[in-house]
Amino acid sequence: MGLSELLSTYGEKYLQGLLATWSMTAVSFVFVMALAVLVTVARVSPLRPLRVAGDLYVQVFRNIPGVALLIIIAYALPDLRIVLDWRTCVIVTTVLLGSAFGSENFMSGINTIGVGQIEAARSLGLSFTQIIRRIVIPQALRTTVLPMTNLLIAVMLTTALGSQVPLNPQELTGVVSYVNTRATGGILAFLISALCYAGTAFVISLVGNRIDRRVRILR
Amino acid sequence: MSTSRTAPSMRDALYEAPGPRMRRKIRVGTAVAGALVLLAVAAIVRQFWVTGQLAPRYWSLFLQWTTWRFLGQGLLGTVAVALAAGAIALVLGLALMLGRTSGVRPLAAVCRVVTDFFRGVPSLLLIYFFFFVPAQLGMKLPSFWMLTLPVALAASGVLAEVFRAGVNAVPRGQVEAGLSIGLSSAKVMRRIVLPQAVRYVIPSLIAQLVVVVKDTTVAYVVSYPDLMQNARVLITSYDALVSMYLVIAVIYILINYAINRASVYVANRTGVKIIR
Repeated sequence: MGLSELLSTYGEKYLQGLLATWSMTAVSFVFVMALAVLVTVARVSPLRPLRVAGDLYVQVFRNIPGVALLIIIAYALPDLRIVLDWRTCVIVTTVLLGSAFGSENFMSGINTIGVGQIEAARSLGLSFTQIIRRIVIPQALRTTVLPMTNLLIAVMLTTALGSQVPLNPQELTGVVSYVNTRATGGILAFLISALCYAGTAFVISLVGNRIDRRVRILR
Repeated sequence: MSTSRTAPSMRDALYEAPGPRMRRKIRVGTAVAGALVLLAVAAIVRQFWVTGQLAPRYWSLFLQWTTWRFLGQGLLGTVAVALAAGAIALVLGLALMLGRTSGVRPLAAVCRVVTDFFRGVPSLLLIYFFFFVPAQLGMKLPSFWMLTLPVALAASGVLAEVFRAGVNAVPRGQVEAGLSIGLSSAKVMRRIVLPQAVRYVIPSLIAQLVVVVKDTTVAYVVSYPDLMQNARVLITSYDALVSMYLVIAVIYILINYAINRASVYVANRTGVKIIR
């Protein structure tokens, strides 16, 4: 099957797939960030139960394979009377996985600040909230730009799990397997989706690098 | 580097030593937070109970030797794929990095594009590629390779970057010194840079094994008998979906946790940082 034939027959599918991947990535990433902040707050709080729960959360979702989590959410939760629609299943999976890595990024961002700065701030008489607002958060955010850029790309790649459930519209990976079960798509059918992914990743890392160069702290 | 382990962690440094009133607040907060966590756990257990998922028929299969033997066979399949893919990715990643830093313009450009491509494409897409395309071209690929090759390719892109970070971590002056005593640049790479770079990245390489293990979980796409696929077989024969998937998830989490710990252990022992 040539490129023109592929595009004329399935072009719209690919376009929908690209948009589905983009929208799932965007929605997931917003929730990833929100949840990552929450988990990180729990992990740095002085309350032990929250710390333990936060650490456990990160260890679990950092180490569980995406497919295993998706299958549990999509096929095991209905047995526990929790039924989500397919798209939500994929997004929830991506958010759980992504937020664990996001929290790790925040933690290492916080850890790079160094105990000395906190001690210095305290000896200057800054209060706890001032230390958090003026010292910790600005620096932690600046140093996590690049890791978070990579996380955004990882979140996009994770949405490929959507091909494992009957999504409508399908995302890029699902489209390829749809095309190939109907026709001999050949290498080209894959290349279209792959270039959509790689192209998006390229743009994301370009923008991320530019932001990082602006705000990076040279140590 | 050894002092960083004994120094107070950033988490604790954020708080001043609490006074009596703050201590009381923290105690109350701890009790409330603890109760909330317990409540969440209780709600989950209750949901299992209400829906009948705690019934013995869902869990008794784990008392049988045959269940664990079958899962063990699957685990062997997982390990085989992970190790093979890891080994291939190691070689490919090193080759891609060497190509990219070779200084030969066209070669460097090609290696760069290949690296970015494999880093920017989901491994599932690559697995589908090896599932569909060789068959369409009339080749018969065993399911082992249908899984191992894409997982290896996906990992090789990442490993190339890890290796490059390791090479960059070797002080530039050493390269200059090597060149100035008349070594060829290939020799500088082989004798001076690579041995140190590899040592820098060993913990990161171990950590990357987690990604490889995770990627192998979609073995059912190519119907290769790994841990997940064998679990699916058991689910259809015992009709114990929730319990089986939970147990499998825990096994995967423990394996990957162990790999991560090993990576951290080696990193602490050798005093190098883990690059991700």
